[in-house]
This record gives sequence, C-alpha cells and structure tokens, in this order.
Amino acid sequence: MNGVSLSRWTMSYFTAALLALLGTEVLMVAGFGFPSHGIQAPETLVLVHLVAVGWLSILMCGALNQFVPVLVARPLVHPELPVVALALLISGLACLLVGFLRMAGYPVGALPWLPLGAVGLTAGFALTIWNLGRTMWTARPIGLPAWFVVAGLVSLAGVISLGTIFSLALGGWTTNSTLMRLTSAGIPFHAALGLGGWLTFTAMGVSYRLLAMFMLAPEEEHRTSRIALLTGSASILVLLVGGPLCLLILERSATHPLVISLALATVSLAFYGYDIIRLYRTRRRQRIELNARMAAWALGGLGLATILLLVVTISGEIDRRIGAVAFLLAFGWLTGLGLAKLYKIVAFLTWLECYGELLGRRPTPRVQDLVDEPRALPWFWLYFGCVGAASIAALLDGSLAFQIAALGMLVATAAICKQFISIRTLGSVPASMLPDDAVARLRLFLPILQQSRR
Amino acid sequence: MTLVPHELDVRPILHDGGEPFSVILQAVGQLGPEQALRLLSTFEPVPLYAVLAKKGFDHAAREIGGGDWEVMFTPSFAVAGTGQNELAQPAPDSSSPHGWPEPSRHQDNRDLAPPEPMVRALAALEELRPGETMSVLLRREPVFLFPELGKRGHEWRGGFEADGKTYRLLVRKAIGKEEAA
Repeated sequence: MNGVSLSRWTMSYFTAALLALLGTEVLMVAGFGFPSHGIQAPETLVLVHLVAVGWLSILMCGALNQFVPVLVARPLVHPELPVVALALLISGLACLLVGFLRMAGYPVGALPWLPLGAVGLTAGFALTIWNLGRTMWTARPIGLPAWFVVAGLVSLAGVISLGTIFSLALGGWTTNSTLMRLTSAGIPFHAALGLGGWLTFTAMGVSYRLLAMFMLAPEEEHRTSRIALLTGSASILVLLVGGPLCLLILERSATHPLVISLALATVSLAFYGYDIIRLYRTRRRQRIELNARMAAWALGGLGLATILLLVVTISGEIDRRIGAVAFLLAFGWLTGLGLAKLYKIVAFLTWLECYGELLGRRPTPRVQDLVDEPRALPWFWLYFGCVGAASIAALLDGSLAFQIAALGMLVATAAICKQFISIRTLGSVPASMLPDDAVARLRLFLPILQQSRR
Repeated sequence: MTLVPHELDVRPILHDGGEPFSVILQAVGQLGPEQALRLLSTFEPVPLYAVLAKKGFDHAAREIGGGDWEVMFTPSFAVAGTGQNELAQPAPDSSSPHGWPEPSRHQDNRDLAPPEPMVRALAALEELRPGETMSVLLRREPVFLFPELGKRGHEWRGGFEADGKTYRLLVRKAIGKEEAA
C-alpha cells in the first residue's frame, strides 16, 4: 500500500523529447535524410536516431518513470536516478548524431563520437532499465501490462547491445570479425528490436491500462491479452537469440529469424487489436476525451503499418519500402499515440502538482478544465492527415510531396506543443481557480510547485 | 395530493466525466412539498444517500440494467433530524483496524474516471470529524491518493477484495494538530 509521488523529472523528459521531435520534423522539411537520402545514408541515421532515441525513447523513459510505479503500486526504487539517466541520454545522443554527421562528411572534429555516444546512451538506458526493473521486482507478482514493459525493457537491452557493437565497429575501435559481421548484417534486428520490441510492445502494455482507465472500460485480464504477451515476447526472443545464432554460429542469412519474428509479432498484434477494440466497445464512458479519440487513430496507424509490412514482405519489396513502413510506424502509431497521451498526462500531472493539496479544501478545477480540446483537435487532425500524406509520398518515392507533408506535421506538432505550454501554465484555468502561488511560467519543464512551498 | 416524481437523468453528465452533485442538489431544492426525485445514474449513488437523508429523504435503489441505477428519493419526515440512516450502521464486511471506530461514511467510487475517486474521497474527508473513519470502494489501488492522505495526517488501511476487482480503503481522519502538519 505505497503512495506514488510525481516523478520529478518526467516533465523534463517530455520537454527534451518534444524538442527532438520538432528537430526531426525540421530536418524532414529541409529534405535531410530519408526519403531524399538512402535508407542507410548517414543523414538518414541522424534522422532515425533523433526520432527513435531523442523523441520516442526519451518520451517512453519519462513516461515509464512515472507510470511503472502506478502499474505496480510501488514508488521508484531510485527516484533520483532519472535525472542522471536523462543527462546521459541527451549527451550520448548528441555525440551519436555528431558521429553520423562526420560519416556524412561534415567537419565536426575528430573525436570518437560514435563510441562516446554509445557509452552515454548505454549508461543512460542501463540506469533506466535498472531502476524500472528493480521497482517491478519489489512488486512481484506483477500484472499483465507490467509484463509487456518487462519484455520491452529486455528488447531495449538488445537494442543498446547491438547499437554499442555497431558504434565500436563504425568508429574503428574494433576489427573483430564477429562484431563486424553483426554490424554488416544486424541492422534489421537493431531496428526491429527498437521500433517493435522496445517502443511498440511497451506502448501496447501501457495502453491496456491507460485506455481502460480513462474510458472506464473493464480491466479484466483476458486470455487474448496473455496470448498477445506470449507471442510478442516470443517474437522479441527470436530476434535476440535467433539473429546472433543465424549470423554467427550457423553463418546463414538473417531472413529466417526475421520472418518468424514477424509472424509471431503479427499474431500478437492481432490479439492486441482484438483486445483494444473490445476496450473501446465495452467502455462505460460514451463521450471519450481527445486523448482516447486520437489514440484510436494512432492504433489505426499501427494496424495499417502492420498490414503494409506484411504486404511488402510477401511481395519481396521490403528493401525498397521498409523506409515508408518504418515512417508510418514511428509517426502514425508511436508519435500519434505519444502526442495523444501527452495531452492527458501533462494535464493530469500539472493538475496534481498545482491542486493536490487543495483538493477538498477549496474549489478546484477538473483536469479537463486545464485543456482546451476544441482548440487542440484541429491540430491533431492536421498531424494525422499529414502523416498519411507523407507515408504515401514515401511509398511512392515523392521527396517533394514528403517535404510538404512534413511541413504540415511540423506546424501541427508546434501547435500541439503550444497547447502543452498552455496546460502547463494553467492558461485555460479561470483566474479564480488559480492556485495562490502559481509560478507556472518559470517551471515549464520542471514540476511547477514544490510541495513544501505551500 | 402527491406530485409526480421529478425525474433527473445524470448519466450524460457522468459519461462526459462531469460531476452531477450540484445539479442533483439544485433539483432537490426545486422539488415541491412531498414531491419525490427519480434519479437515473450510471452507478449506485451511495454517497448521496447520507446527504439527502439529512435533507429528509428516504431512498429506494434498483439496478435497471446495463449497470445503470434508478434511485427514488422520497420525503420522509420520520428520518429527518434523527441523524440515523442505514449508512451510519456498521457495514457488515468492513474490517476496521483495532481501536478505529466503525466508518461513519461510505463512498462507492468504482465507476468514476480518474482522478474523480480521489477528489471525492478528499472532499468527503474534509467533512468528517477528527478521528472518524470513512470507507471507500475503488477499482484500483489509489496510489496518488496516499501521499495526499499522508500530508494531511490521515491514517489508512486498504486492500483488494478476494475477486481482485474492488479495492476497499478505510481512512481515519487526522486527530488534532496532525492535519496541519
């Protein structure tokens, strides 16, 4: 029976992540990286890591620091670690990106940027895995959504192991033949473990709880959810074990483990989709909030990306089309879900910080009074519309159309960020409802008020 | 002459995540003498019983399908002013820790969207006298409520019932200076 405090650094994670997203979109508008450059060009590596690490992974880590304690009803074992991890992640990512720029021929100095980046990122993610892992360990037995997070963190460990090997090899720090072989053929595993096992599978687990909570849907553990967990975990395991086994020991191509993993992941996603449709159908709250409505579009993006991935795999077009599929997965599904859920989470955390101690003692606004859904909604539509357009452009190799659509995404994201700032500064709250000593403007990316100050 | 009961359907308000309490009290205030109130809700509005009992209303509740409830509040002069209603009776299955009085208030917050269960529990606690206890039914462990209870000096016990679907929380209001801490 432990209480959960607000994770002090969650808002800092969110701010860093959103800045990375805006940065990614600026690069896409400028035609930097895919699809103007090849899928494995250094410019594309900058873009991919800025979005996958800078935006999605930092967002996910920040959310998990706050949400895992809620899932398992235990406080974080080391509440002070997230800020250290965040500093390591940001500096590691910066070094990694500079390293890729150097590969692209930019004059950025001769420091060993890639290995430095790997050190920072590995340390930052390792601290996060340690902290979240220990927190869940103290809460055994854990529920189904938490098991998804465990599998996601295992997958993350695989991603950073492979990433570290790549950076050592590309940085010229090793010529070991085993590591070189992994570097030349292991990229699909790195990407699948990152976008699939770590980000998608963790988001699936978290969404079971969040969607049920905010839509008042029954939260029972169904057999279908257990099948989704088991097949998804098996898919991750095949990537982790089957990849190195085929590449290093059997000395065969990586196709088999990738195909088996995709098949297992498809089964997992099908059962997950069934569960989520049931959640929406059995909800007791008829008029759902923006976050749940937009999450439905993101879930549609996941379904579409999965079907597309199957189609291009079966038709043998995967090498040419994987960029577009990964784009839809990263921006339609993960980013769409991230922005939608941030809209609720930022409001809830801000509300709790500002009004927690005042509840019951004086009139306080509802969480919904902190947001302005009619104003935010058109920007979410614009975002999803432009992601759709950009995905089609990427599929059809239309670079200019992609850049125009990316501009729409950038404008929409910036407008949604403006909404977050408005939430954070209590912009929609009537003056009579403001807390007495709000210093919101000064604390945009840190907790607004120290509890001890009131 | 007995008036036709006034019907109030608060289900749309609840579906939208709203708080129907003020609407209900307003409707009660506008009832004619001896007029009853027929309330339609998405859950059994147990907390309302004590409030309206103090205003002199008896209640009769029944589930009408789909998880919805119909409660008829009828004026009852016998109950008014006595301070007695069934909610003041010890709940048969509430297990108070040794030395704690039986709950003087019960709240069923299972069908409310977060953070409404927490808001209602804290609001109700403010109305208790120091040392009194209150029981709250919830869907999940109220992890964000505990720190607020702690800051206010309240004590609490809680746990899931055998079916794992209902979390039963018992809170004892801080006595004396603890609350100011």
